[in-house]
Amino acid sequence: MLDVRNLNVWYGVTEVVRDVSFSVPTGSIVALMGGNGAGKTTILNTLSGLLKPRGGELALDGESIKDRHPHDIVVRGLVQVPQGRHVWPGMTVRDNLDLGAVTRKDKDGIRADIEEAFALFPILAERRDQRASSLSGGEQQMLAICRALMAKPRMLLMDEPSAGLSPRIVQEMVAAIRRLHERGLTILLVEQNVGVAGALADTAYVLANGEIAFSTDGAELATNPDVLRSYLGR
Amino acid sequence: MLPFLLTSGITTGALYAMVAIGLVLVYRSTGHINFSHGELFMLGGFFAYTFHVTVGLNYVVAMLLAVIGSFFVGVASDRIVYRPLIKAPGLSMVLATVGFSFLMKGIGRFFWGGKGEYLSIKPIVDPAPLWIAGIPILPQQLIVLAGALACMIMFTIFFRSTLAGKMMQATAENPRAAYLVGIKVEQVYTYTWGAGAAVAGAAAVLMAPLTLLSPDVGFTLLLKAFAATILGGLGSMVGAVVGGFIVGITEALAGGYIATSLQEVSSFIIIMVVLVFRPSGLFGVYGIRRA
Repeated sequence: MLDVRNLNVWYGVTEVVRDVSFSVPTGSIVALMGGNGAGKTTILNTLSGLLKPRGGELALDGESIKDRHPHDIVVRGLVQVPQGRHVWPGMTVRDNLDLGAVTRKDKDGIRADIEEAFALFPILAERRDQRASSLSGGEQQMLAICRALMAKPRMLLMDEPSAGLSPRIVQEMVAAIRRLHERGLTILLVEQNVGVAGALADTAYVLANGEIAFSTDGAELATNPDVLRSYLGR
Repeated sequence: MLPFLLTSGITTGALYAMVAIGLVLVYRSTGHINFSHGELFMLGGFFAYTFHVTVGLNYVVAMLLAVIGSFFVGVASDRIVYRPLIKAPGLSMVLATVGFSFLMKGIGRFFWGGKGEYLSIKPIVDPAPLWIAGIPILPQQLIVLAGALACMIMFTIFFRSTLAGKMMQATAENPRAAYLVGIKVEQVYTYTWGAGAAVAGAAAVLMAPLTLLSPDVGFTLLLKAFAATILGGLGSMVGAVVGGFIVGITEALAGGYIATSLQEVSSFIIIMVVLVFRPSGLFGVYGIRRA
């Protein structure tokens, strides 16, 4: 269970996240939605330890993760799949995966998890010795997800996994995220695509101007997406 | 005259190559050019001088101590100067490395300067030249050459095949992604600055018997090594070595056939020509970054 209480984050003199509270129960998928600049990515980066919050509390399974080094947060099982994928372009698929496991020591487990990643996205197995820069956008997204899985997370933070992908690949991504969820992963999903969030999320929070403006459950999101679209301004 | 110019060009080229390797190492994992790299070389040389000549330790022991000492100077530079600037804009880092070079030059002058002369170390091996195909070659030249090649091979293998090397490369390519998988980015930087300094120290130790040491040796050497890395392609290990040899040989030939005054200028000409016609260099791996 991830618990975010009264989170405040500033960039210099600008408050970008204001008093945000929400929780992600173990075993659930929670969506964080909102337009550009609403503060979604800022929240994920604060959870990952890349940004220091000015106020509030962040707890993973009852233990505070506020002001921890990103390394400690990964070790505790909270791993981010960043927006725009951020794979290492000059390195091979295999190297990218190996580096995903830098916090681990169990060589056999790592080897088994690489095979498991290849089973999840078989195209990566075919491309294992290629440089990540030669992969398509969809394949890079798959690689970014697998790289995060290599750290053996309890919970994934996914930042817009459907961004910039073709509708067919988006469907494939939704199916893959569902499989990960069925395997027991808790997921906090940042999404602008209402269809994707509706298909996956148990609960959705909508952010506007750094505040939570609205929350809804997944069923409503799926049946009545227009409510949400009005908040997202589209 | 050509064979003589070539042998001297190849030897200075090997020196430039070794200094360039250190520059590339730091650039590859931190993304910064270390403008204090020449001064690290200078300090490494003086460490060797102190341990060997002043204290009277065995040459090999003095060499090792000098390289280790250089490593710790590199680590200290990271902890004191660079780490506080880890999130600052690139230009701050450039200025910090320049500032640190002045500090080290000051330290060099304080402890080893002001003696009105250049200091020298006796060669490790017999100073009598070997005659190969009618060309005199100093054994120490061969040692420098072997040292440069060994360093290049070692670091290429290190980056390609070890997890630590890949962590350094990943940190250079995308530090944000490195943080997100749990790489201790700050630690990677510390070891990198240390390793870069150690290579500079090793180059100084190998080279000291051939050249003379002075607190001001750093800057000229940095320029030559910089020309070599630009020519070879910033970020490429092989490029640094090839670039180092080309700069060394060009310098020797320009000095011998055209005019001695051209010897010092030739590295600037190389930098200019490469930047105009092939900005990514001969073996450029990272393409061109635009601000």
